[in-house]
Amino acid sequence: MVTRSFPGNFRSLAPISNFIVTQAEEAGFSPNDIYAIQTAVDEACANIIDHAYGGENIGTIEINVKEIKNGLQIILRDEGEPFAPDEVPEPDINCPLEIRKERGLGIFFIRKLMDKVVFGFSNTKGNTLTLEKYKGN
Amino acid sequence: MEIVITEYKHCDLLEITGRIDSYTSPIIEEALDSLLADGHFNIVIDLKNVSYLSSSGMLTLINAQKQCKQHNGGEILLANVSERVLSSLELAGFNQLFELYDDVAMAVGKF
Repeated sequence: MVTRSFPGNFRSLAPISNFIVTQAEEAGFSPNDIYAIQTAVDEACANIIDHAYGGENIGTIEINVKEIKNGLQIILRDEGEPFAPDEVPEPDINCPLEIRKERGLGIFFIRKLMDKVVFGFSNTKGNTLTLEKYKGN
Repeated sequence: MEIVITEYKHCDLLEITGRIDSYTSPIIEEALDSLLADGHFNIVIDLKNVSYLSSSGMLTLINAQKQCKQHNGGEILLANVSERVLSSLELAGFNQLFELYDDVAMAVGKF
């Protein structure tokens, strides 16, 4: 298991992606799966900064990566406001350009690209997002 | 992330290099806003050297596309979209909102 902590700002997104890509490569994922994992984690971290913390440099993002049977488990922790994924509507990807509402795209990507997504909140430890990706899915 | 803007007679070409995420998409938004403010609504964006495109980057492109299309004949065309970036655009349904070209010359020639 590897744990890293990053400042909760958008400048951290590139080093976070580098870290995740390295871990996914070492776990033996295909390039397409690595891109999917990178996307899901990037979107999750951007959401933490935008929504849980409500801005940059409010708190940190802790990322825990663990190899599991036939895959990778990634746990993201923040100490921001509770996140309620069910309150985020799924975007209508067939909606015409003029009237399309874009909220919820990050969560949509995370759910589509990962095999298991668990949102958790504790009033002492903050938000925990657990993502799992399995090889060959 | 780097942006190079080349002015052609009938359109502008934006060549972007690097990641497009929540940190870098405001820089692209600024570049596009500047073109739009100058009345340039025919734009080709070359994504050949873009290694990653996040949803915030996609929204930046979509918002600019909406503004371009409000002007007669204005449009953003995308060139050299990699397989992985295309898969993200397809997942979001955004591939339908842009004409995609395999090379810049063809896209520039469209205008």
